[in-house]
Amino acid sequence: MLSEAAVNEIKDIRKRYATARSCIMPCLYVVQKEYGYITEDGMREIAKILGVKPVLVFEVSTFYTMYNKKPVGRYHVQVCTNISCSIMDGEHIVDVISRKLGVKVKETTPDKKFTLSTVECLGSCGTAPMMQINDKYYENLNDTKVEEILNSLR
Amino acid sequence: MATVKINGKEITVEDGTLILDAAKSAGFEIPTMCYHARLSKLASCRVCLVEIVGQKKLQPSCVTPVMHNMEVLTESPVVKSARSSMIELLLANHPLDCPVCDKGGECELQDVTFKFGPRKSPFGEPKRRFNEEDYILSPVIVQNINRCIQCKRCVRICAEVVGAGVLGSIGRGTGTQETSFVKEYLDCDHCGNCIEVCPVGSLMSRSFRYKSRPWDLSGVDTVCTYCGTGCQLTVQARNGEVVRVISNPDTGINNETLCARGRFGYSFINSHERLVTPMVRVDGKLEPSTWDKALDTIRTGLTNAIKMGEKIGGVASARLTNEELYLFQKLMRVALKSNNLEAGSRWNSDSVKEFIDVMGLKNGGVSIYDALKADTVLIIGTAISDENPVTDYIIRRLSSYRKMNIIIMSSRGLKLDSSAKILLRHKPGAEREIIGAITNIITGKSKGTSGQDNIVAAAEIIKNSNSVSIAVGNDVLRIASQLSYINDLTDSLKGLGKEVKLFPVLDRANQRGAWDMGVHPALLPGYKSTGEEGLGCDGIIQSALKGEVGALYIAGEDVVSDFPDGRAAREALGKVKFLIVQDMFLTETAKMANVLLPSASFVEKDGTFTNQEGRVQRLRRLYAPQGDVKADWEIISAIGETVAPSFGVKSATDIFNEIKEVVPMYRDISFEGLNGNGAILQLSGSSEGSGVVARFIGQNRRDNPSGLSPETVDPEYPFTLITGNHLYHSGRLSMKVDKLREILNEAIVEISEEDALVLGITEGVKVRVKSKSYEAYLTAKINSGTAKGVVFIPENFTDVLVNMFFKMGEGFPRVKVQLP
Amino acid sequence: MFEPVILKNINIPDSFKLSAYINSGGYQALKKALEMTPDALIQMVKDSGLRGRGGAGFSTGLKWSFIPKDATLQKYLCCNADEGEPGTFKDRAIIEYDPHQLVEGMIIASYAIGADTSYIYIRGEFAFGADRLEAAIKEAYQKNYLGKNILGTKFNHDMYVHRGAGAYICGEETALLESIEGRRALPRIKPPFPAHVGLFGKPTVINNVETLACIPHIINKGASWFASIGPAKSPGPKLFGISGSVNKPGLYELPMGTPLREIIYTHAGGMKPGKKLKAVVPGGVSAPMLTENDLDTPMDFDSLAAKGTMLGSGAVVVIDDSMCIVKAALITHEFFHHESCGKCTPCREGLDWIVKVMRRIEHGQGKEGDIELLQKLCVDIFGRTFCPLGDGAVMALRGAFNNFREEFEYHIKNKRCMVNGNR
Repeated sequence: MLSEAAVNEIKDIRKRYATARSCIMPCLYVVQKEYGYITEDGMREIAKILGVKPVLVFEVSTFYTMYNKKPVGRYHVQVCTNISCSIMDGEHIVDVISRKLGVKVKETTPDKKFTLSTVECLGSCGTAPMMQINDKYYENLNDTKVEEILNSLR
Repeated sequence: MATVKINGKEITVEDGTLILDAAKSAGFEIPTMCYHARLSKLASCRVCLVEIVGQKKLQPSCVTPVMHNMEVLTESPVVKSARSSMIELLLANHPLDCPVCDKGGECELQDVTFKFGPRKSPFGEPKRRFNEEDYILSPVIVQNINRCIQCKRCVRICAEVVGAGVLGSIGRGTGTQETSFVKEYLDCDHCGNCIEVCPVGSLMSRSFRYKSRPWDLSGVDTVCTYCGTGCQLTVQARNGEVVRVISNPDTGINNETLCARGRFGYSFINSHERLVTPMVRVDGKLEPSTWDKALDTIRTGLTNAIKMGEKIGGVASARLTNEELYLFQKLMRVALKSNNLEAGSRWNSDSVKEFIDVMGLKNGGVSIYDALKADTVLIIGTAISDENPVTDYIIRRLSSYRKMNIIIMSSRGLKLDSSAKILLRHKPGAEREIIGAITNIITGKSKGTSGQDNIVAAAEIIKNSNSVSIAVGNDVLRIASQLSYINDLTDSLKGLGKEVKLFPVLDRANQRGAWDMGVHPALLPGYKSTGEEGLGCDGIIQSALKGEVGALYIAGEDVVSDFPDGRAAREALGKVKFLIVQDMFLTETAKMANVLLPSASFVEKDGTFTNQEGRVQRLRRLYAPQGDVKADWEIISAIGETVAPSFGVKSATDIFNEIKEVVPMYRDISFEGLNGNGAILQLSGSSEGSGVVARFIGQNRRDNPSGLSPETVDPEYPFTLITGNHLYHSGRLSMKVDKLREILNEAIVEISEEDALVLGITEGVKVRVKSKSYEAYLTAKINSGTAKGVVFIPENFTDVLVNMFFKMGEGFPRVKVQLP
Repeated sequence: MFEPVILKNINIPDSFKLSAYINSGGYQALKKALEMTPDALIQMVKDSGLRGRGGAGFSTGLKWSFIPKDATLQKYLCCNADEGEPGTFKDRAIIEYDPHQLVEGMIIASYAIGADTSYIYIRGEFAFGADRLEAAIKEAYQKNYLGKNILGTKFNHDMYVHRGAGAYICGEETALLESIEGRRALPRIKPPFPAHVGLFGKPTVINNVETLACIPHIINKGASWFASIGPAKSPGPKLFGISGSVNKPGLYELPMGTPLREIIYTHAGGMKPGKKLKAVVPGGVSAPMLTENDLDTPMDFDSLAAKGTMLGSGAVVVIDDSMCIVKAALITHEFFHHESCGKCTPCREGLDWIVKVMRRIEHGQGKEGDIELLQKLCVDIFGRTFCPLGDGAVMALRGAFNNFREEFEYHIKNKRCMVNGNR
């Protein structure tokens, strides 16, 4: 069951749009904030509160990549490997992180602290190579910086 | 109008005609995959791309309307190449499963590849795969998503037409899968329409799995036997066993849609429980016999009853054909000189007569599509989404195309509620009160009272409409009451200059036909009055209880299970001196017969049905019945011959020819000529038909049973119990179908969310429902829309016979509901 | 030095705050605009020659004029802040450092078209930017730049931030509308166009962030001022984001029509030490790549179109000679494949087929005939898709082929990379 705060947030969200269905996307963020990923029950609850069919919530949660279908580590490390970051050796950054954390791409560390992913362009090409960890951008990366950042998150 | 050139050929079409349709009318076929005439448009498959002279890009013909002077090329090299490429791309990830795929031989992808696709393709990459094994998605669906070509017909039909909305597109890009919420086992309408519209072998029928290749099937186009909507369907068999029912997109008011019963409710036809030989009661036990012996016994029994001057009654099922019902009433009136007959056993015959009058059934039929061409549609007296599912689909679909105010009056929450403008939830039997209030408001006699906000709003909408269609279901007949309130409303509306259409919603396939054919104590075929009224089913039961009925002939109706007082019905039939029953199965009524005769199913005979619209449609025989089974009309004919030697008829066609002479509305219908859309009855306007008109000496008038029970609510029994058909079942036949029993096998009790909360009842728990005289244990189903204080138990189940809660003359039963 | 217009505030401390914005002349344009008639505003924007900075380059004033004048209709403005085109990072600067510039532009635009509600569709990854926008909007409400009776006029307006959640296709305007409506972001059939049937079925204008950021400046300094910057048919200041193997990657505001060479060598400091320029993607990865020979092309809509490529988002990606073009093409294609919404057959199945072939080529499993196959697939897809995403993928691939076919052939023949010898 969603917390009272979450339910209240959903009520606020409802005021912003002409239809209940529009609230699905922001509501999924509320669920993700609560549980770390999109739970089946969370989707059912959203469907019930908004008065939409559950499968419509499921459609949206699976279409967009930022909704976690499965639990992720406390820090979701998302490294860009698109063109500008690739030119600036983004792949090397992936390798560095992978070796440091001891996981392959798409995997989570056994202590559930880090999940490593590669992602498409994050709109930070001028400061490539870069990565996003949870909501924060870390730009102009190099081996040293990566080391520092990951250590600070331990 | 627009004049356009298609491949050089000039044609003129209506403005806004799609290129696809314009090309078709000019004789050019453009292949499509995602396009569907009755679903929202996607233009996503790109198979229908055509060239418009002057435009650089090819355009999808399924969404592009023609413009005046447009020149379209549908066969140019670039179009042919594009078409072939799109098909090639569809085949790229498509598993070439044809030899093991259910759809082989009737697959649209196969067809379109054969006609328009490439002959070779250089695709040599691994195909994307979602699953290694087929996936059971529901009781009726088995799924292989690998084969899906993303046409989204399944998602659209489920959401837009059926209104269930349980399928969705999950994921993105080539990873998209059409499936259920979290891929869960579906609890939906189980209509199988998604399977029907799937162009490939992605969604497949579990019932049909491995049964046959389509080219090994023989089939007939016929009409569904389950409700008054009258869907066209095709019943297919292999080696004498019916293995599938499908629906044709181009025929019937239902096109490609059916409901769970129509699509999956056929296995009763080949059930091992079918009666295959006549049975005669010897020393208190029913024993297998021969037709000769059985008919002999009948001759004796009937002749005795006639000689003793005792009452003779007849109750026929409303799923018999017009020919059978006509012959039935002719048998009763001409051969047995009796006016005591009725089609069906659930309603008061006076109310039925009033219904027929009020609804203007004798004025001919109206197509549902015409009936729904109104600003406002008012639906009363039917849980329409459950009772007549395809009628519900049609209303939903039409209301999405154009502005239509739907006002639903019901005691239960319905799927169609989400399409309605106003919902008038009411206590059972309060139709008169509410319609009365609406009539008063629209004529200005009243402004409505407090607490009547919805009624006032509904009246407002009706008042501001130019045309109003009123759909009245047969639930208004459950408790005898006068229906003059409907007349009052229609008269008032007509007085205000509104166009008014009345549309009956009937829950038995040939109920209207039965009434057209005069299977009613007060009406002759064609709705002429009998001289003296006889007894309807309720009157026959009352008479039988007094020991007055010498012979009773029941054709196809399970009176003991259906009559709204199971105890009384059983007692009454026990007192009937001679009981003849014909049926397909050993029903509760059949078990009580003196002579029991095995009758044929709807695919084992020719005939006609007249649906709720007043549309006459053909039933066609797929194969002859097994064993000693005979069609109902053959049986009626043989019984007639036992007392009136010249009574016999040779064929259903002969009977129909007689009907044409007797019933003016049927005069212009051609038995052989009826095609996939049947024929709507027209009032010929000329005088009464000539030919045989039965007349007789009347029997005693019986009293009107009382109407609604008085509103003294016993706090011990706070709930009103109502009944009706369940979405997955209809009448008593559906319980003989394994697949429908797999979907729902035991009776349920539906209760409102509010009441469930108060009583501590959650979905799926067993509860005890108790009236003063009867009790039963049922699984609880919570319906958030159902009115407080109302519970619903469907009338189709054998584990709980809901008619045992009912008592003659007492209106709706009052019950209490408790956790055991 | 070109005097920055859009980026003029970003170096001011706390530039994102309302106080800073007001200090540098903010919300004067709004005051002026509210004294004009909507029609006059639309004409002004038309006269300025402003063309959409999202990539399509459609005349902004003309787009606004398509909205029906019926005052009883509900109307919407949507700001496309999805910024997903690889190489592009211009809108982010405006959002994070000068959000009020965008908010002011949106309020003016809404007034011009009669919209009482607007949404900023911001890509989900820009969480920081979304926070900045929410804060700016809150400040604007406090000062009655938003809400009821704005600055004492009859104009009411509400503005909301709608966060995306990771789908490049939402940059397509009708997909964006679908996304706000809570659906999968599949593009819609056009016609009807959003100007008639848009968000929730109502008339809607969708404009890019940078486009809307230009509006206050046009109001303040006049249409002819704007029209005088850069080429006549494609005027105005433009944010060019340059990334890749250059010494000073970043965002540069320059007049439209600045030659590519100037952007790379004068402003971005030229190639990194030891790197030679191999190819340049001029306007986001959908734009076919250019080579050394094309560096004098002016960066405006029409000049680039004439070269068979496009200005798009003005995102310049410089590829050096140590980068294998086959790999670059594969990375780009993987992107389009990943982002394909899956609606139409040619994009969904065609890009899938292409990416499988290209993966083989890149990893030393190329076969003879693969190039012809890829070219055939390009023909099958181009112009037949439902929306421009598929076309973009094909154009990018064709750009790679046209200029660097030999690298593909080498990969196929020798089962390894021509540039770095790897498999």
